[in-house]
Amino acid sequence: MNRSDLIRRVRSATTLVGRLTLLLCVLWWSPAAAGAKTVLVLGTDISDTNSLDPQRQFVYSAPITEHAVYETLITMTPGDYKDVKPLLATKWETVENGAALVFHLRPNVKFVTGNPLTADDVKFTFERLKYLKDDASALAENIARVDVIDPLTAKVVLVDKAQPLLPFLIAPNFGIVDSKVVRAQGGLNTPDADKNDKATAFLDQRSVGTGPYTLTRWARSTEIELVRNPNYWRQPAGFERVLIRHIPDSATQVLQLKRGDIDAALNLTFDQLSSLRGTSGINVVKGQSLDFMYIAFTSSAALSQPLSNKLARQAVMHAIDYDGIIKGLIGGDAIRPASFIPVGLGGSTTDLTREIGYRQDLDKARALLAQAGYPNGFSFDLSYGSGADVGGVSYEVVAQKVQADLARVKVQANLKPMEQGNLRTAYRKGDLAATITFWNPDALDPSLWADPTVQRVAKRVRWEPDPAILELGKQAAGEPNPQKRDAMYVQFQKLLVDQANLCVLFQPVYSHAIRDSITGYQVTAAGWQVDLYDVKPR
Amino acid sequence: MALAATLIVFLVAHFVPVDPIQTQLGDLASSKPEIVARYRAHWGLDKPLWEQYLIFLQKLSRGDLGQSIATRRPVLDDIKQYAPASFELATVAIILAFSIGIPLGVLAAIKRDSWLDHLARGVSLVGVSAPTFWLAFIALALFYGGLEIAPSPGRLDAGAPPPPHLTGLYLIDSLVGGDFHTLASAFAHLLLPSIVLAATTTGVITRTTRVSMLETLDQEYIRTARAKGLRERGVLFRHALRNALIPIFTLGGVAYAQLLSGAVMTETIFAFPGMGRYAFQSAVVLDFPAISGITLLVGLTYLLVNLVVDLSYAVIDPRVVRR
Repeated sequence: MNRSDLIRRVRSATTLVGRLTLLLCVLWWSPAAAGAKTVLVLGTDISDTNSLDPQRQFVYSAPITEHAVYETLITMTPGDYKDVKPLLATKWETVENGAALVFHLRPNVKFVTGNPLTADDVKFTFERLKYLKDDASALAENIARVDVIDPLTAKVVLVDKAQPLLPFLIAPNFGIVDSKVVRAQGGLNTPDADKNDKATAFLDQRSVGTGPYTLTRWARSTEIELVRNPNYWRQPAGFERVLIRHIPDSATQVLQLKRGDIDAALNLTFDQLSSLRGTSGINVVKGQSLDFMYIAFTSSAALSQPLSNKLARQAVMHAIDYDGIIKGLIGGDAIRPASFIPVGLGGSTTDLTREIGYRQDLDKARALLAQAGYPNGFSFDLSYGSGADVGGVSYEVVAQKVQADLARVKVQANLKPMEQGNLRTAYRKGDLAATITFWNPDALDPSLWADPTVQRVAKRVRWEPDPAILELGKQAAGEPNPQKRDAMYVQFQKLLVDQANLCVLFQPVYSHAIRDSITGYQVTAAGWQVDLYDVKPR
Repeated sequence: MALAATLIVFLVAHFVPVDPIQTQLGDLASSKPEIVARYRAHWGLDKPLWEQYLIFLQKLSRGDLGQSIATRRPVLDDIKQYAPASFELATVAIILAFSIGIPLGVLAAIKRDSWLDHLARGVSLVGVSAPTFWLAFIALALFYGGLEIAPSPGRLDAGAPPPPHLTGLYLIDSLVGGDFHTLASAFAHLLLPSIVLAATTTGVITRTTRVSMLETLDQEYIRTARAKGLRERGVLFRHALRNALIPIFTLGGVAYAQLLSGAVMTETIFAFPGMGRYAFQSAVVLDFPAISGITLLVGLTYLLVNLVVDLSYAVIDPRVVRR
């Protein structure tokens, strides 16, 4: 081939590529068919979703899907996290002196498969969750077994009647599956399920629940597709299809929301939400969370001699400007509990925080430091996860604010950013002097906050709790009277405040930005972020 | 060589003070010894380090890269899903980088110290120095959010089913299936992230081409060719450029291999499910099987790309074969 041939061929190839590109662009720009809104599109980060098997998934993003395709016996409505409401069970009662609960199932409920809901399905679901011995199985630890009384009545026998069960049952992991189909796919509810259950691969691609939608496709880190369940027992769901799009970058979510390519953006930062206020066609929906950011201070003299002194820890807590964090860093979109039980549960209220909680009082902080033997202050290492945030504010920013606050009483916090996995490992091993981290619930019972503070979290801060507080926590967990229970947890919080190992900084309000083409969207703290059944086209 | 790389990465990863069980399990479950023990046993983390690596090698000999701790499925399945997206993205990006970088570099060399040379150097400087995450977001905000001429992020439009799986490369699969609408959509979704990803490589190739061409144009044989009365186009393209291409191809080969697994920011902003994000997320949670699998794949890719580059020398410069 001579040079002119070569040049001719290159020219021809270039022209061909150019024409092909033009043709593809024309094809792509073909106008889409217009029509009524039948598809709901959510934009969120679903990279943590590693299974859609309801008895296995235990990450942050998966419950949106699970709650839409599986239903639990009982549920909770947004904003009310004390009273459980009926869902697949119409009523329930405690029997055998509290050692078991009997659930009466709603008649004429069908799975998406067409099979009727029975007590066998409840037994299979609960026992499979327990015996898989997976991440979520800890939630079913208090279930000894499930007895089928009749096709619409199931009895759940407890291991320890002093421990609560109902708040756990609202978790999507207790979503009832069609036992006939799951068994046929290799699912087991026997003690060997952890080794021999084979149903997860099937359940990752198809749902077999009674929910308003059903799972039809999951492309990992790309998209989850749900379609309307034709057998649903209530009014049909509002949309023919729901797409949960994986959009890891929050700035990209903003662009897509503005363009109308998504109807809701779930992971926006405080600044992005502020910039959207007043934007035509976009609303911000808020919901109080039960999560919080906190600082864990060690009691170990080996890690920090000053922090091992309770008075010094109390001084530090009196030096922090909590209102400044909430107003300045989060725009006021947060509240604060007195200690480790969030506002909304266990008698924890903002009034209680004002009554018994810490607030910035620099004179008191200085006096406590002098009393502790540190009139000229001290220094300690403050560790936190880099590149992560809670409620739209990063640990880094909060750490800097705390550092500035403490400097006013001559206490020097040496900031130690750490990679998240590294931080979690070191914190859980109890190797850090002070750690800014985060708590979100596995289920919605105050015992799930109270128990860890005197058990595993206590070990992380090297605190050996007094037997009296251990006993108080145990009694509160098993107390059937709600008022007495709340009073016990208030007393529990007072002891935690005095101990001063755990300093809760704020309990954020979570905000999602939505387009005004949809209605009924409510953010919930119950674990699934939003109930897709409530969302309808406007 | 790729296996040696997996051994090094395996050892380094195990010396990092992070417990993958603690990063994966929830707070409650991590306090239950029975669940923790089952996790450790399931992923072989209860075995000595040498035995874990031996098991990895045994499985590898059967074509099994093990199961990812984070995604809970075979690493090979993860790679099969994420690698084609990266392959498409990197391939289009490297084609763009060569198509723009080489002509621009040649022009800059020919018109040395002219406004064209300064422009080319300026463009390549911006390409090399602009942070990819910034460039990606600006491109998306301008062409998608502002001008509304680019499609939404992702490999396809929301809800659009992917073409039937043959290779995982949407361009190829939709073309083979005769689905031209999906082909057009996949191409349109690929264009902007590819341009962003190509920016740095284009800058490097432009600068290298310019320098390489300037060196070549100073050679005696170029003066001889001109003295013989050859047309300038022939001197430039037949005699100068062919000799200048060797360092450019070497550089391009390394850049291509890097683009395959190193496009984390572009993949994040354009919601492109590729190997870069998969590698990043695996590293963050110390997902040992996934990290080992990715290392092996990247190592093999480097070897393969270098082999292709070495072979291409023979085409560009026949003297290489004669030596």
